[in-house]
Amino acid sequence: MTAYTRNQPERDRRSGFGNPWLQLGLSVACVLVSEFLLKRGATDIAEPDSAFSWTGVNGLASPLVWWAILLIIASFISWLYVLRYIPLTIAFPLSRVVDILVPLGCWIFLGESISALRWCGIGLVIIGLALVAKPIAQIEERL
Amino acid sequence: MSILALFFIVVSLLSFVAAQLILKRAMEVSTTSGLRNSRFISLAAIGTALMTVSFFLTLGLLQRFDLSYLYPFQGLSVIFVALMAAVVLKEKLSLRLVIGALLISAGIVLVSMS
Repeated sequence: MTAYTRNQPERDRRSGFGNPWLQLGLSVACVLVSEFLLKRGATDIAEPDSAFSWTGVNGLASPLVWWAILLIIASFISWLYVLRYIPLTIAFPLSRVVDILVPLGCWIFLGESISALRWCGIGLVIIGLALVAKPIAQIEERL
Repeated sequence: MSILALFFIVVSLLSFVAAQLILKRAMEVSTTSGLRNSRFISLAAIGTALMTVSFFLTLGLLQRFDLSYLYPFQGLSVIFVALMAAVVLKEKLSLRLVIGALLISAGIVLVSMS
């Protein structure tokens, strides 16, 4: 929690769009969309027989990959801002909420089914996120 | 999975974890010394370069494997980043955070396996 105490004089800057929790949310949203675009783009231009394709550079031939790169740059800028205020031990586990948003998004918007095992995984991630986030909520209340 | 694929997965994971630690250090330096500080610039450049390496290696792997196949390895990054942040950056790592990170990692693995 050292980042909180160290940065308390900067609290004024942490409101509105400068709120690090909002920036964490924006970073996650950009990563979420970029994951779909990257997979789609990489599949479109896949050259499994080419040794050079291990580097992934040939993926730049896909416009979807370029859109994904733009989103990744946006999420990267938000993420740097988050790192300035929130300890990595807290911010990084919370950022992995994206790993359950992908299957949940497919279930809600695409009508795809989710197996019992996958529901268990989603449940574990939610419990883990709650454990990581609870001390943060208490600190925010005290501030 | 071939030895080559495992090698690229491990290198991608390690470069990602190292990048996160270096970028966090860079932003810590920026809070005390500003954004025009040479140490901040060099740390941010190294962190960004490592993120770029990880990105292209992942792109290469995505051409060969399903996203769901690669996700368990990304899940491991939660544990690695949390532990390394405590060891390298001296961040406070409570038992609650360790259990939370373990559950998130296990959950990501289950989600991608099913």
